[in-house]
Amino acid sequence: MKLGFRGKIYLGFFSLLLIQGLVIFFWVSHVVKGSMLEELKNRGISIGISLSARMVEPILVMDFLRMKVLVDETVQLGDDIFYTFVLDEEENPLIHTFKHGFPVELKMANTVLNNQKGSIQLLDIGGQFIYDYAIPVFINDNRLGTLRLGLFRTRAEKAVNKIIISVVVTIILAILIAGFVGSLLLNPVTKSIKKLHDSSEQALRGNLDVRAAPMLKKNCWEIMQCHQKECPAYKNFHHRCWYLAGTLCPDCIERKYAKKIDSCQQCQIYKQCSGDEIQSLAESFDAMTLSLKGNLSDLKNAESILNEQKALLQMILDAIPDFISLQDQEGRYVSVNRAFCEMLNKNKEDIVGRGNDDLFSGNQAELYNQEDKSILETGTPLVKENRVPGSKGPKWLHVVKIPVSEAKDRVRGLVCSGRDITQLKAVQEQLTQAQKMESVGRLAAGVAHEINTPLGIILGYAQLLLEDVGKDGQIYEDVATIVKQIKICSKIVADLLNFSHSRESIITVFNINEAIGEVLGVVEHTFNLNHVMVKHEYHKESLLMKGDKEKLKQVFINLLNNAFDAIEENGSICISTGPGKTENEIKISVSDTGIGIAKENISKVFEPFYTTKAPDKGTGLGLSVTFGIIKDHNGTIEVFSPPLPRKKKEQGTQFIVVLPSGLNMKKGELNG
Amino acid sequence: MKYGWMILLCFLLFPGCGENESAIKVDLTIKEQVIFKEEPGVITYAYLPQYSHTISHTRHHSLIQYLRKETGLNIKQIFPDTFDEHMKMVGQKKIDISFSNPAVYVKIAHRYGAKAFARIVEMTGKDKFRGQIICRTDNSSIQSLSDCRHKRWIAVDSTSAGGYLYPLGHFMDHGITKMDFKEIAFAPGPGGKQEKVILSVYAGKYDIGTIREGSLDVVADRIDINKIRIISMSDSYPGWMYAARKNLDKKIVEKLKKAFEKLDFNRKDHREILEAADFIKVIASVDSDFDSVRQLAARVGISLDE
Repeated sequence: MKLGFRGKIYLGFFSLLLIQGLVIFFWVSHVVKGSMLEELKNRGISIGISLSARMVEPILVMDFLRMKVLVDETVQLGDDIFYTFVLDEEENPLIHTFKHGFPVELKMANTVLNNQKGSIQLLDIGGQFIYDYAIPVFINDNRLGTLRLGLFRTRAEKAVNKIIISVVVTIILAILIAGFVGSLLLNPVTKSIKKLHDSSEQALRGNLDVRAAPMLKKNCWEIMQCHQKECPAYKNFHHRCWYLAGTLCPDCIERKYAKKIDSCQQCQIYKQCSGDEIQSLAESFDAMTLSLKGNLSDLKNAESILNEQKALLQMILDAIPDFISLQDQEGRYVSVNRAFCEMLNKNKEDIVGRGNDDLFSGNQAELYNQEDKSILETGTPLVKENRVPGSKGPKWLHVVKIPVSEAKDRVRGLVCSGRDITQLKAVQEQLTQAQKMESVGRLAAGVAHEINTPLGIILGYAQLLLEDVGKDGQIYEDVATIVKQIKICSKIVADLLNFSHSRESIITVFNINEAIGEVLGVVEHTFNLNHVMVKHEYHKESLLMKGDKEKLKQVFINLLNNAFDAIEENGSICISTGPGKTENEIKISVSDTGIGIAKENISKVFEPFYTTKAPDKGTGLGLSVTFGIIKDHNGTIEVFSPPLPRKKKEQGTQFIVVLPSGLNMKKGELNG
Repeated sequence: MKYGWMILLCFLLFPGCGENESAIKVDLTIKEQVIFKEEPGVITYAYLPQYSHTISHTRHHSLIQYLRKETGLNIKQIFPDTFDEHMKMVGQKKIDISFSNPAVYVKIAHRYGAKAFARIVEMTGKDKFRGQIICRTDNSSIQSLSDCRHKRWIAVDSTSAGGYLYPLGHFMDHGITKMDFKEIAFAPGPGGKQEKVILSVYAGKYDIGTIREGSLDVVADRIDINKIRIISMSDSYPGWMYAARKNLDKKIVEKLKKAFEKLDFNRKDHREILEAADFIKVIASVDSDFDSVRQLAARVGISLDE
C-alpha cells in the first residue's frame, strides 16, 4: 500500500520522535547512570572525608563510644550505606558496624596511600556489588588510621532504573503529546493539500470551476467600505482582489496580477487578508484556474475563428478552377486545392506529405524537382505553359511557381498555381485559323472576282463553239468537257464569292417550309434517280422567318447534297421542320442513311476546304458556307453521326439547324 | 551512505557500551572479634585540654617524638576530654606525665601527690603568664573593669589558671566578687575551652570572657580578632609545667628532665619542636615554685580538694 502525503508526514514525524526519543533515552540513561555512579562515588568520598575529620579526636582519645556513635550514625545516613569501620595505623580494626564480628577479608580489600585523598574499590560480596571507600585519617601529617565505608552499587542502579523508567515514560508521553499536537497542526495542512490535489485533477480533466481555497472571511469591500458593484472583487467570496484584473480601488493598478502584485503588497487589504503559504497557494491556484478559464475561452474563440477562416480559405481555394499547391523546402506537398486533386485524380490525403516522385511519372517528376530546386535556391518565380497528358487527351496548363519567403533570405517553400488553358489554346488555334481563313477568303474573293469575268467569256465562247460544232465529233465532246469544267469553275468561284460574303443579302419574310419545298423540287428528281428517297416532315403551320431566303435555300441545298453524297445509292434522306425550344426558334433537321462521319472528323466538317469527297465532286466549301450563312442569321448548326436518337447499328448523319425566326428582331440586326 | 547512517545511529543509541569495572570478590562470612589490646610499657603523656585535641596533638606531637627518641621511652600522648578527667587520670595513674597549668597542678599535687619537675618559658621569654578579660569591641557598655559588674561572664574552666583563677583574683583585687556578675559560666564540653570562651564572647552570648594570655592568636585564623577587645589583664603567675604522677620511676623523670634540658631554641630541629609546642624553653622546677598560685586559690576561695 502506497503511503499518502499525510501518512508520510506522520511516519516521518513519529520516526523522528522515536529516534529522538531513543537517542535521548540512551544518552540520558548513559549520562544518568554515569552521573549516579559518579555521585555515588563522590557521596562515598564526601561522607568518608567528613567522617574522617570527625573521627580524628575520637581516635586521638581512643573514645570508642564516640567512634561507635559516629560509624553507626553514618550507616544510618542512607539505605545504600552498608558498613563503616576504622582501622588503626597497623590496619587493625578499631571500630565497625558489623553486628556479628568483623569480616577479615575486608581489611585488605582496599588500601589507600598517604598521598591519596581516598581510594575506591568495587567489591563483589556475592550477588551484590559494593563500592568500598578507604579514606586516610590524618591529623596534620600524622596518619592516625583509615576510615572505610561501603556503599551498595545495586541500590544506585535501582535509582538509575527508576530514573530511566521515568525518562521512558516521559519520552512516550512527549511523543504522544507531540503526535497529538502535530496532528492538530498537520490536519489543516493535509486537508488543504488534498483539496488542492483534487482541484488540480479536476482542472486537468477540464473542469476549471474549482475552488481550492476556502470561502474568504475578511473581504476587501468590507474593510474598505466599498460599494462599487461593478468591481470584479466586490462580493467575490472566492478570489482575492489582488489576483483579479480590473479592480476599482483608487490605489489599484489596472493591470493583471504580475503587474499589480507589487503595488497590492503595500495595500492594507493584502496585509490583513493574506494567509499562510498553503492558503496563498490555494488562492493563487484558484486565481490561476480563473485566468486559465478566461484564456482558454479566448483560445477557443480564436480557434473557432481560425477554423472558420481556414475552411473559408479552403473553400475559396477549392472553388478556384485553377489548381493551387504549397510545397515545403523539401518539395513535399503541404496543402493543395480540389482542382489539384482532380488533376491528379487523387484524394487530398494521398497528396499531402508526398513529393513529385510519388505523384508524377519519372521524367515529369524529375523535371518538376529540378524546377522546384531552382526556384527554392534562386528565389526566382517560374511562369510556363505546360502540355501534359490527360484522361481526355493532352492538356495545356499555364503554370506559375512562386517562392514563399518566411524571413529575409529564407525560402520556406513554393506556391504553384496552374490553369487549364486547353480550350483557350484551341480557341487561339481557331482564331489563328480563322484569321488565316479570313485572309484566304479575301484572297479567294478577289481571285474569284477577277476570274469570274474571264470564266464567263470562256464559257460564252465555249458554248458558241459548241453550237458551231457538230455533236458527233470529238471536238464537240471536248468542247462540252470544257464547258462542263468551266461550269465547275464557275461554281467554285460562286461558292468562294458566297464564302467571302461578296453577295449582298436580301432580307425577306418567308416560310421555311416553302423554301425547303423549292429546294426539294430542284434536287428530288436527281435523288430519286439514284434510288435515294427524300422524306419531308413539315410542321403543320407555316414557319415564317425573317432572313435571306436564297442563302438559306443554299444552306438546304448544301445539306441535301451532302446527304445525297453520303448515301450515293439506295438510301433515304429525311428533312423535317418544327419550332425550336422557344416560339421564336425554328428547327430544321436533315438526316441521311449514309456512311456517316468518323468521330475524329466531326469537328473538322465546318472547316473550309475540308472534304472527304472526290476532287471532282466537292470543293470543301459547302459546309463552311453553310456555317457562315447560319451564323449570319444568328443560328446554330450541330452535326450528329449517327443521328439522334442514337440507335444500335444505325448509321448516317444528322444536321440540326436552329434559326431564330427573327420576326421580333429589328431590321438590320441580321448582319450585326 | 546507508551504512554510515546505521553506524551513526548505533553510536547515538549505544554510547555507554563497553564500560567494564573490575570487582574484587570478598567473603563477608569470615569474621573475627575485635579486641583492643593495651600496649605494655607505655609512658602516657597528657596535655591539659585547654585547646582542642587536634591543637594539643599538633603542639606536642613533635615534642613527644623527640622525647621518645631522646629518652628511649615508649611515650604516647593521650587526650583526656576535660580538666577534671585529666586530674582524675593523674590520680588513676593513666597519665604519667601531665602538662598542665599551675591551678590544676596545685590540685593534682594536693590530691594525687603529683610532683612538678619542669616548667616552660613562654614565647614571650617569660616563665610566667597572665589572664585576659575580653569583650566585644563594639560593646560600649563595658569600658573599664568596673563595667564588668552585672555582666555575663564565661570562663574557661573552674580549674583554669589563666582562664579563671588569675582573672578572678584580678576582679577581687579590684573589688569585684563572684556575686557581682549576672552569670558565671564555664566553657562546655571536652577540649578547646579557650577557643569556646573567645567564640562565645565573639558571638555575643556572653558579655565578658576570661582567657589565658596568647589564646587570641590561636583563633586568629578563624575569627576577626579585632572584634575582640581586651578589657584588662591579671598579674603574672607561674606558667605551665610538667608534673610526674605519684610513684613514677624517678629514672624516667630524670631522663625526661635531661631531655627537656637539651632542648635548645637555637637549634633548628629543636626550634621547630619548641615553636610547635608554643614555648621556647623547658626549665627545671620544683613544687614550691607554685606557692603563689596556692595562695591565690586560697584568696579567691577555691578549695584544692574540689
